[in-house]
Amino acid sequence: MSSDLTPMERFIRGVIPENPVYRQLLGLCPILAVTNGVATAMTMAGATAFVLICSNLLISSIRGLLKPHLRILVFTLTIATFVTIVDKALAAYLYSMSKALGPYIPLIIVNCLIIARCEMCASKSSLPHAFMDGLGNAVGFALALLSISTVRELLGAGTWFGIQILPQSAWPGWGVLVLPPGAFLTLGILLAIVEWYSKRKKTSAPETSTSTEASAA
Amino acid sequence: MDTFITLLLLVVSWALINNVLLHYFVGACPFLGVSKRVGTAFGMGMAVTFVMTIASMLSWIFTYFILRPHAPVPQWVWELSGGAGDAPFDLTVLSYLLYIFVIAASVQFVEMYVRKNFPSLYKAFGVFLPLITTNCAILFICLEISKRLQDPLKLMPIYEALTMAVAAGFGFAIAITLMAGIREELELCDVPKPLRGAGIALIVAGIMAMAFMGFAGVESGLERALSQFR
Amino acid sequence: MTESKRPNYIADAWLIIVLAILFGVALAGTQMALGGRIAQNKLNETVGLAHVLVPGAAEGKAEALMIKDQAGRDVRVFKTFDAEGKQIGWLVPASGQGFADKIEVVIGVDTQVTSITGIAVIDQKETPGLGDLITGEPFTSQYRGKSTSAALGVVKTGPGKDNEIIALTGATISSVAVTDIVNQQLAGVREALLAALAAEPKGN
Repeated sequence: MSSDLTPMERFIRGVIPENPVYRQLLGLCPILAVTNGVATAMTMAGATAFVLICSNLLISSIRGLLKPHLRILVFTLTIATFVTIVDKALAAYLYSMSKALGPYIPLIIVNCLIIARCEMCASKSSLPHAFMDGLGNAVGFALALLSISTVRELLGAGTWFGIQILPQSAWPGWGVLVLPPGAFLTLGILLAIVEWYSKRKKTSAPETSTSTEASAA
Repeated sequence: MDTFITLLLLVVSWALINNVLLHYFVGACPFLGVSKRVGTAFGMGMAVTFVMTIASMLSWIFTYFILRPHAPVPQWVWELSGGAGDAPFDLTVLSYLLYIFVIAASVQFVEMYVRKNFPSLYKAFGVFLPLITTNCAILFICLEISKRLQDPLKLMPIYEALTMAVAAGFGFAIAITLMAGIREELELCDVPKPLRGAGIALIVAGIMAMAFMGFAGVESGLERALSQFR
Repeated sequence: MTESKRPNYIADAWLIIVLAILFGVALAGTQMALGGRIAQNKLNETVGLAHVLVPGAAEGKAEALMIKDQAGRDVRVFKTFDAEGKQIGWLVPASGQGFADKIEVVIGVDTQVTSITGIAVIDQKETPGLGDLITGEPFTSQYRGKSTSAALGVVKTGPGKDNEIIALTGATISSVAVTDIVNQQLAGVREALLAALAAEPKGN
């Protein structure tokens, strides 16, 4: 990751060209687990965005003090604290949502996306850069959550944000899409579509950025 | 007998029905990343089981004695410092911080211990150990155990937590090994270009999840069948 | 993680110690600010159902009571009161194994535990579109008014007899599970509820 990008470029990179989900396959656990409804998915996106931006800002502001061998510990500590705060806030103000999301809110702690952003960007760049990077990645993550949950909820239950879109009489409701297998199938097919689209674009404009292959956690 | 039935049901439930990977989606990153060869996938599965067992035991102990509401240690400290009645504080808020430390520490210790005492074992799955710190499956099991320790009326005993963690680890190992077996075969197939890599792996996982859904209901059926022995 | 020599530990770790203290304060603040609200939310999950499950009960007014069921287990139940403060029923939480995972139910019964006044399923992970209909109206309202003198049965097709519940199509196991939870819990706590009632100074 080069540091000569302007904050705006960082923001844009996080949204589409280096989308954390479709490009880097980071944070798959919430992507699969909470996308059976758009409302839960967007709550997750909000919670992740809060944690991501706050930890990016904090890490960036103390980056001069970080010791290389202790940095992962500092990252984890920071992330876990912000996750606890967001978890408590959800339980206090959006109790039903907090119940629906269950363990997946605390699991934000081990979301590779956040620790990857802390490591690759926030610990090396200034506050505005870190903020825009966090924001960009959060928006990218939210877009991915939105797209997958829209497909799953719309085709699975005929609703969007709980509002009936496809008439119940005409649409059978592909129940499997709201069930666990539907998560894998939807993400697999959406990934293929994104891949196909970017490959097609690449043949017309050969020098666009290369896509990242599936990588280990 | 009662205890035995409970444990059996826990094993069936956590290894097959509520498979951490195919039902709860936790640990999906290594599931896609380290499932290209059966050998490595199995090693990863075993490493996860190992760390999961240790981390969940530690977090059970911490949660039971310190972190849960009405836990004995804060109560004791409160009484020692001259307070009367129930301790007014509840340390649950610290649990996430503590679990992540427990996991990081147990990964570290397991790595050191295995490297020193079982070099052959270390060769088999040592490389996966550092990766496991950010494996959601481990934190997930710690959280599930902690959830079962929140209500003072229904505390999960430590042997049940142990069974649950081991079963969940095996569930992970089963899923990732099966997946690797399928992916090895897939290499001989002509997969459409855009689907290659993660795409087809996810679709295979979807079909596997569908197959595992067939186990749903086994638990309640088993419980019914075994209830005469209670 | 530390590979430095021993004397450097503190010097290396000062940042972590400072951060840990800061974070500890932040978490304590969060807990103090929100803890009460969260506890209230948790309680409301059951107590907030008082006026729904026991007709005539005042909204959100309930008093917790610990009793022991027949097997000697502790159960927390709630008394519900009408607007004048007279007890008019009980809320009895119960849980058991469903088709997929634990099902949690709150049962409303009248003061003398003669009939069920309503049930609500507050937590379940049954199959979406089939089993999860146990939370919905046509299913739960079947329990209203059922007598507690005999265990409830489940039939696949209606119309059922007085003490029978008609199972949801495609979700017989979930329906049976809910009914079993209700039967078992009521049989278990019935005596204790009546004893608690008799022990009360006012009588009634």
